[in-house]
Amino acid sequence: MSGELLLGLPLAILAGGAVVAYLIARLLKASGEVLAVFVALVLALAVVPLVAIRVEPASRSDWVLLSVGSVLLLGDPGALVVGSIALGLGSIVSLYSGRYIADRDRVKLYYPLLVLLVAGLLGMVMAGDLFSLYLFCELMSISAYALVAFRREQGTAIEAGFKYLIVGSLGTALLLFGISFVYRAGGSLLLVSGPADLADRTWARAGMACMWVGLGVKSALVPLHTWLPDAHGRAPSSVSAMLSGIVVPSAFYVLLKTGVGLGFRAEDLGLLLIGLSLLNMTLGNLMALVQTDVKRLLAYSTVAQVGYVMFAVGVGLRYAAPDAIQAGFYLLLAHAAMKGLAFMCTGVSPSAADVTSWRGTAQRLPLVAAALAISLGGLAGVPPSAGFVGKWLILIRSLRQTDLLAVLATLLFLVNGLVSLGYYLPLIGAAFARPAGPAIETRVRPSAWIGLPLVGLGGLVLAIGIHPAPWLEWMSDVGPALLTWGALR
Amino acid sequence: MQAIGLSMILGAPLIASVALLLLRGRSRRYAGWIAALVALFSLSSTFALLPALYSGEVPALQLPWIPTVGIQFELRLDWLALPFLVTEGAVTLVAVVYSWGYHHVDARTHLYYALLMLFALGMAGTTLADSMFLFYVFWELMLVASCVLIAVWGEGERRGAIALKYFLFTHFGSLLVLVSLITLYVAAGTDSFAALRTGVSLAPALANTVIVLFLVGFCVKMAVFPLHLWLPDAHTVAPMSVTIMLAAAMLSMGAYGILRFPLSAFTPSQMAPFAVPMMVGGLISEVYGAAMALAEQDVKRIIAYSSVSQMGYVLFGLGSLTREGIIGATLHVIYHAIVKALLFMCVGVVIRATGRRSISEVGGLRRAMPLAAVYTGVGALAIAGVPPLGVFDSEWMIFAGGFRSGHLWLGALVVLGSLLTVAYALWFWGRLFFGEHPERLEIRAVPLAMVVPTVVLAFLALIEGLFPGPLFAWAQQGLALLLGGTW
Repeated sequence: MSGELLLGLPLAILAGGAVVAYLIARLLKASGEVLAVFVALVLALAVVPLVAIRVEPASRSDWVLLSVGSVLLLGDPGALVVGSIALGLGSIVSLYSGRYIADRDRVKLYYPLLVLLVAGLLGMVMAGDLFSLYLFCELMSISAYALVAFRREQGTAIEAGFKYLIVGSLGTALLLFGISFVYRAGGSLLLVSGPADLADRTWARAGMACMWVGLGVKSALVPLHTWLPDAHGRAPSSVSAMLSGIVVPSAFYVLLKTGVGLGFRAEDLGLLLIGLSLLNMTLGNLMALVQTDVKRLLAYSTVAQVGYVMFAVGVGLRYAAPDAIQAGFYLLLAHAAMKGLAFMCTGVSPSAADVTSWRGTAQRLPLVAAALAISLGGLAGVPPSAGFVGKWLILIRSLRQTDLLAVLATLLFLVNGLVSLGYYLPLIGAAFARPAGPAIETRVRPSAWIGLPLVGLGGLVLAIGIHPAPWLEWMSDVGPALLTWGALR
Repeated sequence: MQAIGLSMILGAPLIASVALLLLRGRSRRYAGWIAALVALFSLSSTFALLPALYSGEVPALQLPWIPTVGIQFELRLDWLALPFLVTEGAVTLVAVVYSWGYHHVDARTHLYYALLMLFALGMAGTTLADSMFLFYVFWELMLVASCVLIAVWGEGERRGAIALKYFLFTHFGSLLVLVSLITLYVAAGTDSFAALRTGVSLAPALANTVIVLFLVGFCVKMAVFPLHLWLPDAHTVAPMSVTIMLAAAMLSMGAYGILRFPLSAFTPSQMAPFAVPMMVGGLISEVYGAAMALAEQDVKRIIAYSSVSQMGYVLFGLGSLTREGIIGATLHVIYHAIVKALLFMCVGVVIRATGRRSISEVGGLRRAMPLAAVYTGVGALAIAGVPPLGVFDSEWMIFAGGFRSGHLWLGALVVLGSLLTVAYALWFWGRLFFGEHPERLEIRAVPLAMVVPTVVLAFLALIEGLFPGPLFAWAQQGLALLLGGTW
């Protein structure tokens, strides 16, 4: 099968899947469980072509380009990795939603929206030009707003969705604004070719600044993160798992891709990313430390974890170290699995909001407590979890650099790791504490619908940590691709 | 064959903990037996490798793990690791047997023994690991397992907070170690300790930084003053078997780290500037720990502070950078393990018998518990360094190292400081077993499973003091691996 076909196939599958899902819900009155399985299969099926592209030898000249009408898709290694992670996580989340989204009347909207969210995300990371990028970014964003406010009977959900909508629209508007500047500067929207000196033109720089602020909102760069704790904290847990697990990191990847794609120097981007990452991890961890609501705590932890990923990628770009970028993407994968798992655990107790109400979870729901311990232990970076392997790999690269910036940044990175223990451990502790608190009584007993995704994702988290070699191998092209992108122009 | 032996040492506790977790509640009646058998098996596997070591071989095992960054799964048993490995194995066995009596069987007993096994696995893995990544994984496993044991089975309402304090404090030390490890990794270009054995060349400033980070990081684990703050609380709150493993085996992991990294990767001239700071640190810790032990009321805290003091001796011996000092420190780790386990067991027996923990509420127990008076006496005299009990030998060597190092005044001070050790040890014994027996103090029966290991350890404390030959030989063999091997 040709590369172009493989690149286009996932989006085609998702587009078809969304329509079919809506139709079988509407016409056949299919139940939530049936839809969940169907959508999970659709998303899993869409991964296959993406992984198949990876099988071919990947040097830059082999990147697949596909042009459909005015949409241009580009199969660069990073996009394939991020896209596959999104599809994989989406598939598990869909299964989990089968019982979790119990609203019989509106499941017909939930699953198509979920598919469209993933489709938008996939198109966005694979965009080959800024037009397609904007198009898919909007598709993803609008699905996300709707999903955050999905439980409309709860006032807080509407409020969070609305806040997300306002801030997010501001972000996409700025993105569009920036795109127009870039077009003014170079007369081209392509991320793979165009004027070589584009990055030196004033309009392009102004456009780039606007785009980064716009995408910065989506990827929760501090101080543009303010919408995130509300949206992730109040969305249904399955949606939070997607948003925190992959939507925010994928927006970060797009940010990165526009930077290198428009020909900005890797060293400059790296410096910027290191600086921003320190803000993200420090503020994220400090804010998480003072949270009492578990989902808000996890949301702030996402801000911090995105900071870790940015730090690794920044180090890689700044010091031309492709393996640091690889480490960053490994952490991105690990974080997607761990944070998805953590949010899925919170979904089992719709009533329990604050940390203390988790007391006694281990007694009543041992599976949930175990999954929570695995995911939070991983996020905290306890060996031999995937989170720890990621941090180790990042440290190997950052400690190799001897200039003051790298040393100080690494120091802050380590201190942040220590600070984050201050909120992960009490939460694990609460889950295993006895006697149980009163709130535990109201929890739903997890069925296989909830249990299987927890077991599957938990197993995946362990597998990524204990046997990291194949995963690292899978993303080994990402670093060189990003570093040499400029040579394409 | 040797590779099988090595994997047995680690595999047995791993399999046992997984099996206990899988069997869940069904295994709780015999979980203690399984754990003890496994600990015994693990210890015997270590001894089974001794002939190979004596014949000059070095059992090792290598498996690829994360090839993209050159991380390997490497195990290796050399003379440096052996004394520590044997100590951990023996302490684990004793602690598990002691748990039979100390720990009440409940719905989570299988979990308790599974975690004890994981704790033991962490310690054994730390000593056997021959690559940095693996070392750190086991190093943190040790912390995680013990922290969970304290958080779940600790005594008192504050156990959660104390477990958190323990974790954060020692994790901070681990981070310093992690930075140094990775710096060595980057400099050597390989994850394997083989690079350490051939020597790593670092710029002088970087080498000094790495050494300082290692020393501070490992001193947190050893609980040397002023990095000991986690210890008294953690040891007091932890269930007794865990306290025994913490105090008798885990603390010495810090000493192992100092031997394994700064002392074997760097040359004598690189280490020389750190000799006096280490010796002074050891001296201060020795005196401080002993003074605090004198001042404490809680029987468990007295012995906990005694660990701070004893680790001071070990650090002093290591810091002397002399043949005598390092042999002494290695021996002291072994002897201290026996004596400290013995003393904590005695404390456990006293607490179980009287139900009280404050030393001022207990006294004159020698009539009601004559046997306990004898074995506690052996422990107290041993830790005071009275010949012919074992600790006397190692302290002698440490003192000799102090004098040999050329800093006579430091040597003299540490000898004088040991008077405080004698003071708290004898006062502890005296207040418990002699003097007035308070009225209304009821004495309850103590399970045999608590008494038997205690008596065995008391005998061991006597015997190893009388026949220290083999242990001296072990410690001596390790010297060839340190500071370039020129002594």
